Amino acid sequence: MADLRPILLVEDNPRDLELTLAALAKCQLANDIVVARDGAEALDYLYRRGIHADRPPGDPAVVLLDLKLPKVDGLEVLEQIKGDASHRQIPVVMLTSSREERDLTRSYELGVNAFVVKPVDFNAFFEAIQDLGMFWAILNEPPPRVGYGI
Amino acid sequence: MTSPQTAPNNEVTPELLAGCAAEPIRIPGAIQPHGALFVLDPETLALRQASTNLAAVTGLEMMPGQLLQDTPHAGALCRCLRRWLGGRSGVLLRTELIGIELFDILAHATPQGVIVECEPVDAVPSEGPEVFYTYIRRFLDQLAAAPDLAAMARATVDEVRALTGFNRTLLYSFDRIGDGTVLAEDTDGVLPSYRGQRFPAADIPKQARELYVNNRLRLIVDAGYVPCPIEPMASPVDGRPLDLSYAALRSVSPVHVEYMQNMGTGSSMSISIVVEGELWGLISGHSRAPRRINAQTRNACGMIGQMLSLHIEARQKSVHAAERLELTRIETELVAALSDATSLPEGLAAHREDWLGVVRADGAAIVMDGVVKQAGRTPAVSDTLILAERLHPMDDGIYATDSLAGEWPDLARLTGEASGVLAIPLSQIRPDCILWFRPEQVRTVEWAGDPAKAIDDGTTRLHPRHSFAAWSEQVRDHARSWTRAEIESAISFRGAVQNVILRRAEEKAELSGRLERANKELEAFSYSISHDLRAPFRHIVGYAELLGERETALETTSQHYLASIKDSALAAGRLVDDLLAFSQLGRHQLQSGTVDMNKLAAEVRRSLEPDMAGRSIAWEIGALPTAWGDPSMIRQVLLNLLQNAVKYTATREQARISLDGTELADTVAYTVADNGVGFEMAYVRKLFGVFQRLHRAEEFEGSGIGLALVKRIVERHGGTVSAKGTPGVGAEFSFTLPKRQVSHGVPIIG
Repeated sequence: MADLRPILLVEDNPRDLELTLAALAKCQLANDIVVARDGAEALDYLYRRGIHADRPPGDPAVVLLDLKLPKVDGLEVLEQIKGDASHRQIPVVMLTSSREERDLTRSYELGVNAFVVKPVDFNAFFEAIQDLGMFWAILNEPPPRVGYGI
Repeated sequence: MTSPQTAPNNEVTPELLAGCAAEPIRIPGAIQPHGALFVLDPETLALRQASTNLAAVTGLEMMPGQLLQDTPHAGALCRCLRRWLGGRSGVLLRTELIGIELFDILAHATPQGVIVECEPVDAVPSEGPEVFYTYIRRFLDQLAAAPDLAAMARATVDEVRALTGFNRTLLYSFDRIGDGTVLAEDTDGVLPSYRGQRFPAADIPKQARELYVNNRLRLIVDAGYVPCPIEPMASPVDGRPLDLSYAALRSVSPVHVEYMQNMGTGSSMSISIVVEGELWGLISGHSRAPRRINAQTRNACGMIGQMLSLHIEARQKSVHAAERLELTRIETELVAALSDATSLPEGLAAHREDWLGVVRADGAAIVMDGVVKQAGRTPAVSDTLILAERLHPMDDGIYATDSLAGEWPDLARLTGEASGVLAIPLSQIRPDCILWFRPEQVRTVEWAGDPAKAIDDGTTRLHPRHSFAAWSEQVRDHARSWTRAEIESAISFRGAVQNVILRRAEEKAELSGRLERANKELEAFSYSISHDLRAPFRHIVGYAELLGERETALETTSQHYLASIKDSALAAGRLVDDLLAFSQLGRHQLQSGTVDMNKLAAEVRRSLEPDMAGRSIAWEIGALPTAWGDPSMIRQVLLNLLQNAVKYTATREQARISLDGTELADTVAYTVADNGVGFEMAYVRKLFGVFQRLHRAEEFEGSGIGLALVKRIVERHGGTVSAKGTPGVGAEFSFTLPKRQVSHGVPIIG
């Protein structure tokens, strides 16, 4: 498993960020984890511009994208990724607090690969992240349409 | 008027008689010959026109253009006219000498010049003008004391006959159509009595009625008179015939003369009763023989007419005001009641007495959106609808008739309930309206001769009827007339009702606006809860977990505390999730399809396996009929019911849970039964309420929303829920779902 591509985690809430990183750490994934704190920064990373202008080329293995984000929100980021032929193949997993149907429906309309409603139970969250990590970060196979937590 | 047919003679041409209404009664071109008339220039008093009998009657020999002061015998007359013209107040009436004879001199100014009329005075009156004041004062006292209109009418005819000495005096009033009814009569028996009889409107043509409003007194001294022409015929001022509207000597229509002759009267006088600008009635006097009434007496009679007019007007106004007051009181009460009513028709129907009373009708109906509500004596609903259609659109904003059959002969069949109809529109687009009805009131009317015989249709000539013998007629298809106050009340009520309708529409719009805003707010609220309220609970659980992993050497009590923190946050988090699920249900669009309940039940049972770890549960799942509904929601129902069954059998060593289904006529029914702790039937109604729990929290965990959710989902599908239980024995929960015809639905679960 050489040359593992990084995971892009887009999360603004510091506690969610910390807990997600802890969960990812527990999964003992070998991938680097790049953190973007808002939608604009995530897009800068993907398009290698702004503070990420100098990063080495290459797409992340998966984008873990929070729905509610400052500046450019998660749905807009998703829309840009999936609307761009050169980035469309990057798997995007929506991580969200929301059980709102319209968010879910909208995400699937925009072509999200998975939708995870962050469970209150940390162990369940950990299991979800672990599954995701295995599925997307390591195997990185073409995305079957599987939804979590819905 | 330029017709040469208005020749100053009594040659009755067919053209003249073709229609009385076309007859130029103001400009007959002639006068009655018992006096003489001439027209003067108001500045120079030069002669412009004169009746051909001027010299014969007065002895004044004048040529056109000749000045009055240059005319022999005219000295006193000239001074008198100069004085009057200098002061000019209204009409001149004086007795003056012309030569050595006394004349009543009348003068009035017109655009064509000053018209001077001279009537010879037969004898110097033995009494001065003061005597008239005595008469008039007496008359005023009688008027004031009269308890009703009949008494006023009687006093009037008595007074006028006493003043004039006519054989018979009459007072009659006109109804809305113009027919006259004799209200009072005073007679010495020489002429036949007309007491209580009616005269058809055609007896007084339209243009005569108009003239009578302005010229309040007319006199025909001798019905057999030969009109005396005025020469030149055309006024030198404007080339038109002389306007004699206000001349006392004006020659009358040959038809009228014929009418008098047929009535057997040789002389007549009539005085207008004008109330609120309209010809209300007439006081008339007749004698068999020709009779002269001098100017002073006529003046007194004119005053009597005016005083009577004023009294009637005052009386009518006070009657009208009292009527309006009473109707307004009813209207105010009705409108107040209507604004509280659930709907306009309901409100009216609930206050039928006021509804009828507001215009004093016998029946009423409201037509709204094609629905009819009625009160009192009304036509059938179908006929009411026909009538509403017929009246639509009501351009004047009101419709009133005393005789519906008169307007629409085909509706004569409604006459028993609706001879009189009063209606107000409620909409400009639809035939919505409020109608009031009055039944037919058959009356017998005594006509003074058959009114239908007034016109001899053998020729184009119009003749008055020859017989004035009483002729009875039964008037059908007529209701009691709507009074002005009643019609005004209907108009005022229309305004109030339209306000009620408008306010209702506004309230409705406002309410739906408020609801929409409230819904939006609620949605925003629950959206924000789902994002923001869940997160802290999740964080607490996460950090507690991480802390527990890190501090492996915590003492037992500390571990207990940490576990409690985690459990509490978890419970709170689940509560938020359940509440959200419950509130989302209202907004969730049902996406119905066929649901394979057997597959669904198996899937739900599998998902419950973590809860069943270490338990011994005997599942009995029968063959379940297919359901029609929203699959994800039906899944929620099954999940909650089966989860409860697992939960509440936790204390059983051997738990039994069954799920059965049956197909009924219109529904399918499913029942989940268990041998768990059960419940007391006394609490069955509480079971399906939000946050209702029948067990203590430490016994069984749960938010208390599960069954409320089940009930709400099932009811949104049009189904029902029920429960049976026995404490310590078990519980049974059932729900039904309506069947639907399966068309293109696809099973989603599986």
